[in-house]
Amino acid sequence: MIDSRLFGLILVFAPLSIFSFGGGQAIVPAIQNQAVAVHGWLSDPQFADLFAISRAAPGPSSLICALIGWQVYGFWGAVVATLAIYLPSSVVVFFAAGWWQRNEASPVRMAIERGLAPIAVGLIFAGAVTVLRAAHAGALGLATVVVVTGLLYFTKVGAYALMGSVALIYLGIHEAMPLMGG
Amino acid sequence: MATDSSSLADSEFNRPKVSLMALLGAFVRLGMATFGGGVQAWVHHDIVVKRGWLDEKEFLSGLTVAQVLPGANPVNIALYVGMRLRGGVGGTIAVLGMVIPAFCVILVLGYLYRTYGHFEIVHFVLAGMAAAAVGATLQMGIKVAARLPRNVMAPVVAGVCFAVVGILRWPMVPVVAVAAPVSIAWAFVLERKARNDR
Repeated sequence: MIDSRLFGLILVFAPLSIFSFGGGQAIVPAIQNQAVAVHGWLSDPQFADLFAISRAAPGPSSLICALIGWQVYGFWGAVVATLAIYLPSSVVVFFAAGWWQRNEASPVRMAIERGLAPIAVGLIFAGAVTVLRAAHAGALGLATVVVVTGLLYFTKVGAYALMGSVALIYLGIHEAMPLMGG
Repeated sequence: MATDSSSLADSEFNRPKVSLMALLGAFVRLGMATFGGGVQAWVHHDIVVKRGWLDEKEFLSGLTVAQVLPGANPVNIALYVGMRLRGGVGGTIAVLGMVIPAFCVILVLGYLYRTYGHFEIVHFVLAGMAAAAVGATLQMGIKVAARLPRNVMAPVVAGVCFAVVGILRWPMVPVVAVAAPVSIAWAFVLERKARNDR
């Protein structure tokens, strides 16, 4: 008999998989809502920490689901959460990809693409707000967001180099704080 | 292109067969190389430019499919390329190559977090990295938003989804379950009107 906590992971992540139009970034608000508010698997600051880890790690950032699964039910929780977030959407792609390519000029296909794109955009921005709220971001956090967004948008600096630099700068700030009496 | 078969793998006959081992190796390397998004650029460079397994047109068409259909982009791109080259088995192998090594790395990082996460400095630095990652998210959001069609529908749908999920914190699944059909129908009507006007 499958444990109810493993079953809970499937019930949370499988629907998110099917509805993840716009990719892993679009389901960030839903992951936070389910894992923190609905199920209480983690606290808000823990969610923000795991989000940072998943974005710094190689591979798809939606592997944050594996970290949450591990928190809930150890190794098998991580395995089940990962299957639940990737398998349902992969089955959809498996069966739909052929139709999609054969109907390049179809008005239905065009309408689906044009209809889903703005939903993805709204959810991606909602994800940004969700993480900032979970991290209890203050002036330093917001300044970091603005600077990083600007640098990525207007220069050719890589996201990963930038993330490493931010980590080092924060390390420096943390070490300097006692000196400044902070 | 052959259209008589539903299998993506059958549509090209003049291509040398890529071995499953080579496919697995390529996607293990890609899975470990794709930090913080930008996966399509890496896959394009490796699969199209370096190895010549797919041509530009096939890749771009697959990229659209990967982005529109549900699922994480890196996984969908791996699935598409694998299916295109070696059918369902190829798709499965490519996805496993993309996910399993990254899964192992993230478990190690999760273990380190469990061991050292209670130190205040770890949390402080991670908060900075989360803010940087939000910056990357915003930059991507702005780029995608800039590509939206210039009509009334796109900003209204995007704005409503942002407000109800981001600000009011409504659960995403029911919101998308309602918003998607409405938005698709709206796009369909706009498209038909545009065609009739031409």
